[in-house]
Amino acid sequence: MRNVAIVGTGQTPYTTAVNLTYEELVYTAARKALEDAGLNIGDIEAIVFSLAPTSLLGIDAAERWCIGAVGGINKPFMRINTGGATGGSAAQAGFFNVASGLFDTVLVVGAEKQGDTADTQLILNRIMSVRYELPFGLNAISMAAFAAVRYMKKYNVKQEHFALVAIRDRRNALNNPYAHLKGNYTMERVMSSRMLCWPMKLFDCPPRSSGACAVIMASEEKAKQITKTPVWIKGVGARSTTYWIGDQISGALFNEYGEWDAITPAAQSAYKQAGITKPHDEIQVAELYCPFSVNEVQATEALGLCEKGQSSALEEKGHWDMSGHLPVNPSGGALCSNPIAITGLARVAEAALQLTGKAEKRQVDGCRTAVTNSPGGTFQFHAVMVLSNKL
Amino acid sequence: MKKRVGIVGIGQTKYETSKANQLLDEVVFEAASKALQHAGITRDDVDNVVIAASDQIDGRPISSMMEAGPSGAYLKDEIKVTDEGSLAAILGYLRISSGLFDTALVTSWSKCSEGPVVLVTNLGADPFFHRFCALNYITAMGHQISAYKGKYNVNDLAASKVVVKNRKNAVNNSLACCREEVSEERVLSSKLVVWPLREMMIAPLCDGACSLVLASEEKAKAMTKNPIWIDGISWAIESYYLGERDLSRLTSLEVAARQAYKQAGIENPLLEIDVAEICDISAYHEIMAYEGLGFSNWGEGSKLVEQDVVKVGGKLPVNPSGGALSGMPFFANGLIRLAEAALQLRGEATGHQVDGSKTALAQGTYGFAGQGNSVFILRK
Repeated sequence: MRNVAIVGTGQTPYTTAVNLTYEELVYTAARKALEDAGLNIGDIEAIVFSLAPTSLLGIDAAERWCIGAVGGINKPFMRINTGGATGGSAAQAGFFNVASGLFDTVLVVGAEKQGDTADTQLILNRIMSVRYELPFGLNAISMAAFAAVRYMKKYNVKQEHFALVAIRDRRNALNNPYAHLKGNYTMERVMSSRMLCWPMKLFDCPPRSSGACAVIMASEEKAKQITKTPVWIKGVGARSTTYWIGDQISGALFNEYGEWDAITPAAQSAYKQAGITKPHDEIQVAELYCPFSVNEVQATEALGLCEKGQSSALEEKGHWDMSGHLPVNPSGGALCSNPIAITGLARVAEAALQLTGKAEKRQVDGCRTAVTNSPGGTFQFHAVMVLSNKL
Repeated sequence: MKKRVGIVGIGQTKYETSKANQLLDEVVFEAASKALQHAGITRDDVDNVVIAASDQIDGRPISSMMEAGPSGAYLKDEIKVTDEGSLAAILGYLRISSGLFDTALVTSWSKCSEGPVVLVTNLGADPFFHRFCALNYITAMGHQISAYKGKYNVNDLAASKVVVKNRKNAVNNSLACCREEVSEERVLSSKLVVWPLREMMIAPLCDGACSLVLASEEKAKAMTKNPIWIDGISWAIESYYLGERDLSRLTSLEVAARQAYKQAGIENPLLEIDVAEICDISAYHEIMAYEGLGFSNWGEGSKLVEQDVVKVGGKLPVNPSGGALSGMPFFANGLIRLAEAALQLRGEATGHQVDGSKTALAQGTYGFAGQGNSVFILRK
């Protein structure tokens, strides 16, 4: 198979509302990535656009509006939409564009404008089954709460364990100039935050973010010409499980809603391609799209970064801290910035920054291999990517 | 030497004005199951799934949440594109070409009876200018055809001949939605919708789904005696702003076609292609596509229909299935064109078979006024 590398990334600061049109926002990230790679738009042969439900910004085909802004005129262009997993899926589509042998240099770009959305959770209620679940008021927060309840019961963890995740992410975000929410918070402050849907409190949930992200990918030959520090995409995997949450607790293999374990076969595919057999020893940093605190507990286990049921015990020991054995979300992750259309792509960009040593104050020293994920739908879509600075 | 990708299974539902008696889930499942059956495989043999669908036409954000299951994606590696049906085939092709996958189940659908396409496409426009100009896919076509007619002086009679041809072809396609022959007079006297487009010149919206099974060269050869090879594949998109474009021609189609012909080693498409399934989203768009695809010079596309070059029995039959003018599930159109082109090469286009076809072309189109286009060259 053809080797594919990331040769440039660009992000805008994530915030509630940006004073740019959607076109301008996308342009900003695309331009930053081109500058980072030292390329101009003429060098880009094909474009993948990362855009989740456009209901969040109110323009159905917003990607087509941005063709000029991303330099796509008369070029091959496709938009990926796998819900929350979109950013991770778009990165994979970019990878396939290059790996297929059809193109040498591909731009993956997208943006989110939740600042233009009156009520994100109202829209995320509309993703549910019209006939059955929508009238119950199910949305992303209640979805996460159900998973948390199920996990808490099985592994006997407490709300304080989820609070530790939020405290770590917000602390890490202090080092990330792009992060939306950041700060040093105490256990009391987090635990006393408003209860949204038991046991998920305000601090357990992500903000509504706007912002843009772009990643440039290239074939091995091109990548080596473009940069001295290419980041190789070593493995990609994705899985879809059933939409119905009730069917995600069937007891079947890789089908436990409380543990996000549909991510496991996706990770296994990616690890196999990357030649990874012991992820907890061979991966030095994880950038995870875990919009709710409980999701980081589930994902670290489902990705094989620790044993099942052990994530929270390790959290207490500082295992996932910046100075720990395996830092998770040096950027602050999705709990601090959640521009849905590109949150997964931003994880890939942040992993690439770590592996090139360009992560500045949030740099984890000695990174060789990183893992990223993106969940979508009723946590039914999972995309995993393994990256390394060694071919 | 790059390895080829083959089409090894084709599944289509019947296309109907309204499938009110079937849930969308059931429509999607029907097409996906039929494609697997046609390929002689089961879901166990599929290692990845690609979907193309429009959230807005389906009436819910992230429509693949519900439809990934019926598309066969349970615990499979699945991804969704949101441009048009043909892009799902493209992404399936890319995934197999990468060497990571062997067998893709590719599905697209639309249930236009439940999705207000005119409103949806209007809401696809930017909220500052075009949305308030009442831009939608039909008014955009009207602008484009005005520009085309203004430049080349093509008359409505030629356009009506395209409708007559395609509707006549559809009589022989048991899956087509509109299977009744029409006369030029009836087309020309149908209601004016957006000048110069009359009702019968616009592809009628309908419900339906289409699935393909794509496979790597080795797998395809093992699965079937007659795989259809994708020898040319290209896609391109133009600027969003109509004012920036030369609306009198389908530039992105020309760009995509040129690249696909280069890949497939085609120099004279009119002579080398035996059958074409193209996007007649309006009768004029079929004529404009002849030009974009290089079947004729710019402005001379109407001669092909006037001289019977593109009818069944002519030098290059176009849309023997009846095309979109005989029923268009909006978002799946391009994938259906690809399916029909592949059926022709397999000799399985029952009733509307063009005998002796060895090389076929299929086109997908999307966006305002043919903003984006994809082109496939297929060979036996």
